Amino acid sequence: MRRIDRTKRRILQQAVQENLATLRGSPPAGLARARSRWNGALLGASPLLVPGVLVIMALVWASTVGDSAAPPTGRLPGAPRQLRHASPEAVEQEREKPSRPPLQSLNVAPPDLRLPHPALLDPATLALGIRRVVLDPGHGGDDLGTTGPMGLVEKDLTLDIALRTAEILHAKGFEVLMTRDADTALPLNRRAQVANTLGGDVLVSIHVNWIPNRRARGVETYWLGPTDDPFIKELAAAENRSSGYSLADFRRLLEGIYADVRKDESRRLAEAVQAEMYKSLARINPTLQDRGVKTAPFLVLVATEMPAILAEVSCLSNDEEAGLLATGKYRRRIAEALAAGIVAYAQERAAGASLEGSS
Amino acid sequence: MSEKKNVIHVGIDLGTSRSAVSASNGQRHIIDSYVGWPVDMVARKILKRPVLVGREALDNRPMLDLHRPLERGLLKEGSEKDQEAVRQLLAHLLELAGVGESARGNAQVRAVVGVPAEALRVNKQQLRTAFSGLVDALLIVTEPFAVAYGIEALLHAMVIDIGAGTTDLCVMNGRYPTEDDQRTLLNAGDWVDEQLARLIAARYPEASISPYMVREWKERYSFVGEPHGSVVVSAPVKGKPTELDITDAIRAACEGLVPPIAETMLDLIARVEPEYQEKVRHNVVLAGGSSAIRGLDVALSALLQEVGGGVVRTVEDPMFAGADGGLAIAIDAPDGDWEKLVA
Repeated sequence: MRRIDRTKRRILQQAVQENLATLRGSPPAGLARARSRWNGALLGASPLLVPGVLVIMALVWASTVGDSAAPPTGRLPGAPRQLRHASPEAVEQEREKPSRPPLQSLNVAPPDLRLPHPALLDPATLALGIRRVVLDPGHGGDDLGTTGPMGLVEKDLTLDIALRTAEILHAKGFEVLMTRDADTALPLNRRAQVANTLGGDVLVSIHVNWIPNRRARGVETYWLGPTDDPFIKELAAAENRSSGYSLADFRRLLEGIYADVRKDESRRLAEAVQAEMYKSLARINPTLQDRGVKTAPFLVLVATEMPAILAEVSCLSNDEEAGLLATGKYRRRIAEALAAGIVAYAQERAAGASLEGSS
Repeated sequence: MSEKKNVIHVGIDLGTSRSAVSASNGQRHIIDSYVGWPVDMVARKILKRPVLVGREALDNRPMLDLHRPLERGLLKEGSEKDQEAVRQLLAHLLELAGVGESARGNAQVRAVVGVPAEALRVNKQQLRTAFSGLVDALLIVTEPFAVAYGIEALLHAMVIDIGAGTTDLCVMNGRYPTEDDQRTLLNAGDWVDEQLARLIAARYPEASISPYMVREWKERYSFVGEPHGSVVVSAPVKGKPTELDITDAIRAACEGLVPPIAETMLDLIARVEPEYQEKVRHNVVLAGGSSAIRGLDVALSALLQEVGGGVVRTVEDPMFAGADGGLAIAIDAPDGDWEKLVA
C-alpha cells in the first residue's frame, strides 16, 4: 500500500513538472536564459551599456569594411550596425522610455526603420566557430502553413520540432535562440531581422513540405540561390507570401548576396543537415527519399546575415509521412537529426579553424 | 487565522465525440461534444436560447450552426467559432457538475483534463487558454494515464483508450509516461464510422445515410468476430424507408481497428524490460467509448496468445474511466502543486 502511495506521489510530481514546463512556454532552460539575455541586452539595454557595445560593434564593422571593396549598399553613412539590426519594436521601445537619453545624444544616427540590408559576412569571423544557433519554426499564428490529411498543421509541427532541437543543442552546449517559441505570427522579414539582431552564427528555418504528387515523400534542404525548377519556384513563392517585403525590397536584397561567402557556408550547413536527416530518418522510414540539397530564393534566407538554410523535414502531403509526423517519436528523431547536422557543421568549422590557426 | 479553502476537484475527459466530467461533489455527467448557435431569428425564437450544447444541439441541428469543436481529442485549428464552441462546451460541463461560474460561489475549482498521448505542446497551450477563467487551476495529463491512475494500474500495465478521434496506448512502468511509453493512433471511433459509411454506400448506393445515423448504428451494433445475429437497420432509399442488412459492413469496419491496435500494443510491450513483459501482457486494459465494441477484448487477447499469452479486459465504466481517473489525480495532487498551476 505504501509502495503505491510513493509511486503515485512521484508520478504526480512528474505530471506537475511537465505542466509547469508548458506553462513557462518551453522547457529548455537554455532557451529561457537566452530569451532573457536577449530582452536584457536589446530591449532593456542601459544607456551606459549601449555605447560600449557600439564601440565593439564599430570595431567589427570597421574590420569588415576594411576587407570589403565598398560598404554594403543601403547603409546610412556612419550608422552603427547593431541599431540597424534591431527590430522595429525594440527601437520603438527604446524611444518610448523617457528616462533614457534620446538616441541622438549617443551620437548615433536615427534608426532606419526600413528593411535592413543584410551585411556581408567577414570570412575571418567564420574561424571563430559556431556557438549561437537561431532556430526558426516556420509559420505560426494565423499562418497555418500546410495542413495534412489528418488535421496536422505545419505551424504546430515546426514549433514542436524546433523546441526539441533546441533542447538537444542546448544539452550539447550551444546557445540556442528562437524566432518564435509559441503559436505567434511572425512575418518573414521580421524573422530575418530578429535573427540578425540576435547575432546568430547560423540560422536553421524548419518547414514541412507539401508536394502535389501525394506519393512523393522525403527530406530536402535549401540554401540561398537562384533556381529554374518550377516546383521550387512555386514552393518559394508560397513560403515567401507572408514575407512583408515588396518586390523592390526583394530585388535590392538579392543584389550582391549570391557572391557572399555566406553562400558557401550555407551550402556546407545544408549538406551537413541533409546528410544527417536522411541517414537518421531512413532507418525508421525506409522508403524515405533523399530529395537532396537545393538552392531557392526563400526570403528568410535572403535577408539573414549568417549562414542560413531552410529544411523541409518531411512531407505532410504523403499519408504515411503524415502518420509518422503524428508521433512524438518521429518528431524527436527529426529534431535529433537536425541537431546532429548542425553539430557536424560546427565541428567541420572548428576543424577548419584549428587548421587555419596552425598554418 | 486563515480561512479553510472550499475546493471542488473535477476530472474531465474532453472527447472528440463525447465529453465526461466527474466532480468531488458527486456529480458525474456525459455530453455529446457538439455546440450550436441558432442560424436565424426564427430558430432563435423557437429554441429560446442563444446557444445549445450536447444532445440538445445534436437533436436540433437543422436549426443550428453546429460545431464539433474537437478534432482528434484536441481543439480545432483556425476557426474562432470553434474556439468559442470549446469554451461553451467546457462551461456547460462545469455547470452540469455544479461548479459553473454562477453555482460555485467562493469555491475554488481545480480541474484535471486528459489529452491524447501525443498532443503537441502548442495544443496544450491552446487548451489552457480555453480553460482560462473557467477554473482556478488546471493540470493537463494524457488520457490513458488518467485512466491508469483511476484504476491504479500504474505498474506493469497497459491502457488502450479508444475514443472517437484517437486511440491512445500507454505502458505504465511506475512513472509518468514518457513519449517512449505512449502512442496515438488515428484509427478510432470516427475512423470506424468512415469505413462503415463507405461500406454501406458501396452495398446500397441509393440509400440516404447521414454520419449521425452511421454513428448511432455503430454504437448500438458494433462487434468483431462472430455476429450474434443479423444487423438490420432502416434508411430511406429514394425517400422510402428500407431495411438494410449491414452485418458484414459493421464487422469489417470494426475489425479494421484490430490490426493497428494489435501491432502498436505488441510494439510497446516489446519495449518493456524483458522480465516485466509477461506482467504487462496479462494486464492490458481497454477504456474509452469505442472500447465497447463487442469482442474487441477477446480478439486482442487471442493475438496475445501468439506471443506467450495475455489478458485484455475492458474497464467497468469505459465512458467515465478518464474523467474518474482525472478526478482521482485532482484529489491526490498536493495543494502546493495546485497553487503553481493557476489557469
